Parts: sequence; C-alpha cells; structure tokens
Amino acid sequence: MKYVGTDVPHDSARGHVTGESIYVDDMPPLPNELLVDFVWSPYAHARIRALDVAPARALHGIAGVYTYRDLAHNVLGPIVQDEPLLAEDVCTFRGQPIVVIAAESQAAMNAAKRAVKLDLEELKPILTIDDAIAAESFIGETRYIRRGDPAGAMENAEHVLEGVFINGGQDHFYLESQAALVYPGEFDGLTVHSSTQHPTELQHVIAHLLGIDMSQIVVQSKRMGGAFGGKESQATHPAAMASLVARTTRRPARIVFDKDTDMHVTGKRHPFQNRYRVGFTRTGEITSLLVDLYSDGGAYADLSPAVMARAMTHADNAYYIPHIEIRGTICRTNTPPNTAFRGFGGPQGVATMENIQEEIAVFLKKDPLDVRRVNCYGVDTRNTTPYEEIVANNTLPRLFTELEERCDYRTRRDAVRAFNESSATHLKGIALTAVKFGISFNTKFLNQANALVNVYLDGSVQVSTGATEMGQGVNTKIRQLVADTLGVAIERVVVMTTSTEKNNNTSATAASSGADLNGSAAVDACSRIRSRLDDVQERHGGKLSWEELIKAAYHERVPLGERGFYATPRLDWDWTSGRGTPFLYFTMGTSCSEVLIDRFTGEMKVLRADVLMDIGRPINPGVDRGQLVGAFIQGMGWVTTEELRYTEGGELLSHSPTTYKIPNINDVPEIFNVDWIDHDNPVNVAGSKAVGEPPLLMAISVWCAVKNALQFVANGDIAQLRLPATNEEILSRLTVYAKKAAIA
Amino acid sequence: MRPFLLVHVNGVAHRIGGAHAFQTLSRYLRYEQRATGTKIVCEEGDCGACTVLIGRAEGDTLRYRPVNSCIQFLFQLDGAHIVTVEGLTSGGALTPLQDAMVRCHGAQCGYCTPGFVMAMAGMFECTNKPAKDDVKAALTGNLCRCTGYESITKAALEVEQQPRIEQLYPSEPILRAIDAVKREPVRIDNFYKPVDLESAIAFKRDHPNTVIVQGATDFGVWRTKRGFTPEAVLSLEGIDGLADVRIDGEALLVGGRVTLAQFESSVRELVPSLAEIMDRFGSPQIKNAGTLAGNIANASPIADSLPFLYVMHATLELTGSDGIRVVPIRDFYLGYKKLDLRADEIITRIRIPLPKDGDTLRLYKVSKRSHLDISTFTAAMLMRRNDGKIDSMRIAYGGVGPVVLRLGKTEEFLAGRAYSRETFAEAGEIARGEIAPISDVRGAKEFRLQLAENVLCRFYEETQAGAR
Repeated sequence: MKYVGTDVPHDSARGHVTGESIYVDDMPPLPNELLVDFVWSPYAHARIRALDVAPARALHGIAGVYTYRDLAHNVLGPIVQDEPLLAEDVCTFRGQPIVVIAAESQAAMNAAKRAVKLDLEELKPILTIDDAIAAESFIGETRYIRRGDPAGAMENAEHVLEGVFINGGQDHFYLESQAALVYPGEFDGLTVHSSTQHPTELQHVIAHLLGIDMSQIVVQSKRMGGAFGGKESQATHPAAMASLVARTTRRPARIVFDKDTDMHVTGKRHPFQNRYRVGFTRTGEITSLLVDLYSDGGAYADLSPAVMARAMTHADNAYYIPHIEIRGTICRTNTPPNTAFRGFGGPQGVATMENIQEEIAVFLKKDPLDVRRVNCYGVDTRNTTPYEEIVANNTLPRLFTELEERCDYRTRRDAVRAFNESSATHLKGIALTAVKFGISFNTKFLNQANALVNVYLDGSVQVSTGATEMGQGVNTKIRQLVADTLGVAIERVVVMTTSTEKNNNTSATAASSGADLNGSAAVDACSRIRSRLDDVQERHGGKLSWEELIKAAYHERVPLGERGFYATPRLDWDWTSGRGTPFLYFTMGTSCSEVLIDRFTGEMKVLRADVLMDIGRPINPGVDRGQLVGAFIQGMGWVTTEELRYTEGGELLSHSPTTYKIPNINDVPEIFNVDWIDHDNPVNVAGSKAVGEPPLLMAISVWCAVKNALQFVANGDIAQLRLPATNEEILSRLTVYAKKAAIA
Repeated sequence: MRPFLLVHVNGVAHRIGGAHAFQTLSRYLRYEQRATGTKIVCEEGDCGACTVLIGRAEGDTLRYRPVNSCIQFLFQLDGAHIVTVEGLTSGGALTPLQDAMVRCHGAQCGYCTPGFVMAMAGMFECTNKPAKDDVKAALTGNLCRCTGYESITKAALEVEQQPRIEQLYPSEPILRAIDAVKREPVRIDNFYKPVDLESAIAFKRDHPNTVIVQGATDFGVWRTKRGFTPEAVLSLEGIDGLADVRIDGEALLVGGRVTLAQFESSVRELVPSLAEIMDRFGSPQIKNAGTLAGNIANASPIADSLPFLYVMHATLELTGSDGIRVVPIRDFYLGYKKLDLRADEIITRIRIPLPKDGDTLRLYKVSKRSHLDISTFTAAMLMRRNDGKIDSMRIAYGGVGPVVLRLGKTEEFLAGRAYSRETFAEAGEIARGEIAPISDVRGAKEFRLQLAENVLCRFYEETQAGAR
C-alpha cells in the first residue's frame, strides 16, 4: 500500500482555495434560463379556503405558475410516502410549499408572489412534544427494544432515579443552501444538477411526481457546500420544483434558496424529550432501565422512523444494561419535517444515557467516571447490546483508561472542586463521556454500493461511485484506495461527478458509510482489473510499466473497465422482536471537557477538550482528523449556543447567522487534544472505520461538564439542565439555585 | 459631475453607471463578472463567505482591508480596488497561504474557503508572522461549518512570506486612474457623492429622506433582507477632514466617517476596557466598513458603543445649513430610532471625554455567542471612589428598553455608599426596577432583568482587589 494511510490533500482543495470549485449556483446560466421559487404557508397549520394563481400567471415575465394539480402524483417520502410536494387542502407547517412560480427575473418573481391570491384559515397548531402527546398526534406506532425483566429488576433495585432529558433541535447550517438546476433534454428527459447527498432519491421522486421513468432522468451531484444530513431527503423538494418547471416550459430552470428561506422551510435535528427510570446498585451499576423516547418528527415522516431507530439502538451507549426497555414514539407536530442530521438520533440517545450516568454519580456521591467504568461494556462478558448484538472488538475500556491518564482527569477534577470553593465569580465543571456508534444503515437493504472504474489507453483512471462529496473527503479516500488497488500513481486517478447515469440505485451518502460502502465497491472493481492486469504482466515477464501494461492489455483485448459491487455482510434486524445485528462494527471514543462559567451572566467557555477515539486505521489521517475536530465543534454548537427560537405561532425567529449562532473560531477550546488509538478494524475496507458522525457525540462531554459545574451550587439536588446549555439557560439555573440557597 | 463610478476589480478598471451602481458587490462579482469564487450565504455580513479585499488610496499607496461584499454596494466603491479570490492567484500558482490551506486540510466542503482565504490575505497585509490570537481576531468574521477551525488556524500559522497585494497589483497605475477622477463629485440617479461638506448638507436639505451610507453594515441588511429603497443616498467618502481621530485635551475627537476599526486602534492604548469590547464588537470585515457615527445614527438600543458613550458624556457635533450644533449623546435619542437630528444635519464629529486617573470604567456585552453576535444586554459603568466609599457612579444599560438608558435611581443610590458587596447587591435590585426589557430572539425578559441585576455584583467582584 502506498497512498492509503497517508495525508493526501482533499481532491478539490486546490479548487476550493482558488475559488474555481463549481457549485450549483456557480454554473453559468443559459439565456433562456428560468428562476424558480415558491409561495409557502405563513401558518403552521391552516386550511386553504381558496387559491387563485391566475393573476400571477397573467403577469409579464412569468413563464409558469403551478399547484399540486400540475403534478402526476403529489406524494413523496423516503420511508413512508406521506408528504405532498405542494399543499392541497391543508397546510401542515409554516414554510410548506403551495405554489411554484417560474419567472424571467427576480422582479417578476416578486410581483408574481404578491399576485397569488391565497385565502387561508388558520387552524390550531401542535408545536411541541407535550402538545403532541396530549393530542395523541404520532407518526407510526411506538416501537420497543426489550431485554430481560426490566420491571422486576426495577422493583429489586437498591436505588431508583427518575428524570427527563430534553434537547432542542439544530439547524444544519450548511453554507451552501439548497439548490438545483435542471436542463430539459431529448426524449422528454431531464438532467438535474443538485446539491444532494442522494441523487437516486431525487431521480426516483422526480420520476414519480412527474409521471416519467427513472431512465429519463440523470441526476448529478458534483459537490455540496456542506450537507450534514440536510441534503439527504430534503434536497428533493427544490429539485422537484425546478424539474416541474423545466419539463413543462422546456427551458432550463434554477432554484437556489436564500439562507433565511432555507432555515424557515427545511427540517432540523429532532428535538427529543426522554423520560427514564433507572435502577442501580450502591456501586452505580445499572440493573434496570426504562426509557421512553419521544421525538418531534414534524409534519411528515421523512426519515424520522430511522432516526428513532438509531436513537433507540444508541440509548445504551457504552454501557451494559441487563434489564432494559426502550420505547420510541415519534410525535407529529406542525413544524417542517425533521430530518437526518449527522448522528441521526444517536446523539439524542447517547446524551440521555450520559445524563443518567452523571445523575447516578451525583445521587451516590461518586465520581461520574467511576460510575461509567462500572457500567462500561466488557470485552468478553457483559458485552451484548439490548438488541443482542455483540460489541465485538471492544476498545471502550482501553479508551476510558488511556484518556483518563492522558488528560489528567483525577487531578483536574480536584482542581475544579478547589476552584469552585474559592471563586466568587466563576464556576468550573468537568466531565468524561464515551461514545459507541453503530456503523451501517439500520435498514439492511441500504447497505450496498456499486462503482465504475474505467482505465484509459494512456493509463489514466476514472472512478465513479454513488458517494457524494460534501467536504468529508470521500472522493479522496476512494482515490487512495483505487490507486493502491490498481497500483497506479494517485495523480492518474480522478473521481468523477456523482451521477445516476454511472451508478444506479445508490444509497444516500449518509450514516458515515460513504467510504465504507463505495470504497469497498471501488476496491472490488479495481481488484478484478488488477488481477487481469497481473495475468498480462506475467505474460510479459513482469517488466511492463503501468502505461505499457495498459497498452498491452488493450492490444490483447483484455477489458480495462469494471463495475464493482459491495453488500455489507452479516447484517440483520427484526423490529417485531427488537433483535438483530444492525451494525457491522462500532466506532468508539471517549472525551473529556472542562468548562468555565460566569456566575453572574451564565456565559460559558470550554477551557479544554480531549478526544480519544478508535477509528480503526484511517485511510487518510488528515481527512479523518478534520472530521473529528469539525464534528466535535459542530456537536459543541448543538449543546451550547445553537438555539432555535420560535414565536408562539410556530414561526422560526432564529433563521440566519445573525440570530442562529454556530461556533465561531473564538469558541474552539483553548486546549484541544484530538487523537486516536492504533487499532485495526479487520471487517472494513483497509482496516478503517467510519468517522463522519461519531465524533459529533464526543461534544456531549461539554454539556455534561456544564451540568457538573451546576452541581456545585445545586445544594445537593441533582442539577437540571436543558440542551442546549445557552448562557440564558445556565443563568436561569444558577439563579434558581442561588435563590434556594438564600432561602436555606 | 461624474455619471459613473470608477472601480478596479483584480487590476482591471470598470466604469459603472446607472442601475448597476446600486447592486451589491457580491452580486456584481458573481453574476456580472462571473467571478463565482466569492460566495453568497447570509447576505447580512454575518458569515464572511463573501469576503473580498477593498483597497483604498492612503497617501501614495493602496491599503487593502477585508470586507463583506454582500452588504457593500458598488456606489460605495468609487475609487476602490477590489481583489477577489480569483485575483489572488497569478498564473495558476498558489500563494503561500493557499498552499498552506491545501496542505493542512483547511478546506472541506469549500464553500466558506474563498472567504477565509481573503480574510487571511487581509491579515497578511498587516503582519508577516501572525500569532494564534491574531489569527483568531482576523477570522472572527468567517464561519466554517466543517473544519472546526483547527486546520485553518494551523494553515495561517504555517504561512511563510505571503506576498502583499501591492506585489500582485502595483498601486501606481491604479492610483493614477483614481486621481484623474477623484476630485469630481459623482451623481448617479439618486446617489450623490460630493467632495465638500457644504454640498453634502445642501443635498440633504433638498432631499430630506436621504440616507447617508458610509459602511452600509446595517443599511446593507435593510436592503438585502427587507428590500428597503431610500429616496436618496449620500456618501461622505469624498469629503476630507472627517476621517481622523484626534486627542483634544482630555477628550477624543472622532470624525464622522471614522471606521470602527480606526476607532478601535486609536483607543487600544487609551481605554483598554473599551478595546476589549471593540474586540467582540464585530468582525474585521464589519469594523473595516462600519463607522462610529453610523453606529450612533443607527440608534439601535443594543449598539455596542452607546453605553460607553453615555457614561463618558460624549457629545455629538452636528453640522447643518445653520452651522454647528452640539448635542449630548443622551439627548440625541428621542425614542426608539428617533433622533434629534434635523433634515440637513450630518454627524461630523463625536467628542468623547476620556476616563480620568482614579476612574474605574467597565464595559459589558452579553450575547449568545461570545464573538460576532448582536448583544442581548450591554452595560457601561464608570465609578469614582474615595477610600471605601463610592463618590459617584454612572451606569448605562443597553438592550433593556427602546433606547440606551442611564440608571438614575441606581446611580443616586450608590453615590456616597460604602463600596461593598452588599451595596452592589442592593443596587442590583434597584437597577432591576428601573428597566422594562422585552423578550425576543436574543433572550427572554427575565434573562435581561437578571443580567441587569447581576452585572452590578459582577462589577464589584472584578473591581475589588485580588479578584480574578
């Protein structure tokens, strides 16, 4: 191996730093291109009494105005087909598209939007999980994972604690908002350029909505300016709108959301409200857990069932629990359908469990790390998950031990205590948490990929897979794998634009699986080419250079192209029993964070963070380090400053970077140590592990550290804290505890 | 009168007139020049993806500073040289900072990258070898959602010998082209850029709803987000004598078009506690464009400069047809965004008395995110102490009402009291009663009330000796 394991720069890095990289909105317009936009519901819940688009249609500069009646079918959804592209009689969330407009200019578009006559009757919306539970407004049935006798074990438990963990949503805040550009072609076909993680989903949905064959559509995704799950199912809607326009007008059609629109109309990370009852021994060992997960799914199913499945299969996190019942219920509310976001339910399940570990420790007056160690999955025993998958190749105990030493946890915990006793102005907190993240799509059939490898006469190579590039470096990793497997210089390998023309029926680039699945498929294709080339080489006495070898192979009529395929082995899952092996392996890690809080303002700063992970043998250490650091900071945003605020009527108030605060360069911890252990992962390509999502969950240590700080002033109670821990949230808790202390 | 703007882009001169002059720079670059490396993300100056360098004549050279091109309008850029990410690379060779970004994995999805590259290029105009804090300060205005900033910081610290823009684009020919036209006032439709104050005042008198657009850091957002179209736009850019900061006795005199960046550098030594707040005031891009007078005239109750100006008893010099009027800052605000400013008047100077020896000045800004965030609550406190007693105390709060407030009752209570924890705790409760904040996206009413109370205790704790 020559390139795998080395720091090859991102294949687009040069284009990125020179501004030459092309995104959808950078593609030059044709003279007859149309601008596409839509009229959306201003209410979270409303009945459409009357809709008249004729005045808009009559305006100069308007090429088309469309309602659901102009679609062959008006229903979509990645799991359950329950969502209309355009509202028919009822609007079920604020931002729901009702009318699509195609205009020659922005001025004409603005006039047409005003000219659409929309008569709405506002209805009472359901906007919170509590409201949905009260109204029994759910998406699908409650699901269960059960093991042992949780009720019986709870009765026999030495100690029992109850609580609620509440987390807010998170906007993806990809820098490039949703965008698509559609060209009509011959044979009633469409070429769709989209900023999407899932070209096949676009192809499938557009074909269905327009009543044409998938074969009439080519979807291309060159790259995305960030995605994070937000372009897995929800890039579909804008692309479908532009496709409708391109198909009916036979003109190129472009739609580009501005940031505010994007934030108003798209779904977010799911808010959760999780109630738990935990039984444990005097050492902190959990003997029984009942946990009831409620997610806010928004108005339609979207990916919520799969997100809930991942939340449920991650509620154990790094800890063995013999008797357990996990219930998962998705609430239907009048908000945009919540969707995939890096971690995909995992963070909400894991944070719930890490919160429980903290609370048990407070109750028992023990160090939370000791409680975690008592409960941590074992290597040979106590190593089966609630759904009975064995936690194979378990490095969690090692990660705990090594990080505890490396970050000097015990000494710093004492220092934190001493600091809090002496400082009148500030409080500190520290926490060391863990993550065990299952790798593979929970839905078995999604775990497949294909790749196309073409070797050209001059020895250069093109590779196409279903993987989409959103910055995570999947193309770079595939390039390295291809170069090594073929035995060719990496400069001669190009990873092509992702296109449904090259790779069919692909899965979304999601679930951290992009490099695992598509890299494996590419290696499969390359191995077969290589083995044919080895035969040629042997016939030539092993003396040919790569270029000579390719020429010889061509002249000897040896095929120089190959299509590879990969299906993840062993997987299986059954919802009726809540049992199975949904994951090929687990990516693991531990993280320790220390925070400083201003007692008067609630302002919080992360002083130090240490992250130690088992990510196998990285294909590209530089790329993987970027994933670890970037995901941690993104997770830190979720648990601290990223707060979605709404009006009582369900209008999002924080819809741009002025009001929605993702971490800034000044928020990066002053001391920030990120590392991984040397550990092979024999079940995956090149011994690597998936790395996209798991490090996001490492930032839960920041939230736990805030909770730990509050514990010092909570007068013996278990400190309560919502997520995100904004300075407002922190100050409100500090104030409550200060008042209680004053009364006492 | 000149009917066009002269704007250089990456060394090439463009004469821009008519409706084109009213576009934002980012849209002009992307959709007219097809220079699509400059990205549009937020169109409100809060993410930095559209960062470009703007070079303006200073003496016999062009001085380049990063700004947000999404809220700069072409009419502001007469006589400027714009350098975009496309203009940084000459002949296909990467400059050292671009090379470092590639090497250090400083780009992931790439959408914020051109903005970071240009903000860094701006930093290297002022320093050869930045320290980590310089990098943080220079990149405060750029958001990245992928990298977590570590690789970008590392790249910036690894750069050796980044060439100055002057080396890529010699100033001399550009300056010569600018000099040829700069003494001529510009008039394009309802936009006017005079070269003397009298003409500016006359124009404002004749067009009472004129908006003076200097940095456009707020005006730009009204326009991109709310479609605001003013009746007339006036630029003071061509007027000499308004761009300097001077010390006059015990006061600082700040000209009407002094940028926040200029103001920050002049107070860094003089008023360290103000410099701290200015550091978090906004990004370099915003501070390079926005002016102190603009911050005052914009009249936001959460303007970060105002509580300071209130406690220092700053005065405004307003120049109109009838001459100069001097108005104390406190009297300048008649209500929410209502000013004591006549139709023909222009803020030509701000006079700020400086703290005296023995004065204790503390400024506070609470926002959801520490940097690059609009304040939830701001405060300024100026105390004079005599042994264990408080002689006098001036307190101004922002974000607690329609205008910035002086807390008269709290000040009165504190005057003459013992300087003690108990005094300030009691003062906090009085302060709470003096304000009536609202709940909004930046924080609930209760949060602001609690901050109003606590910040007085905070003041005590950090001003008493030995506290951290």
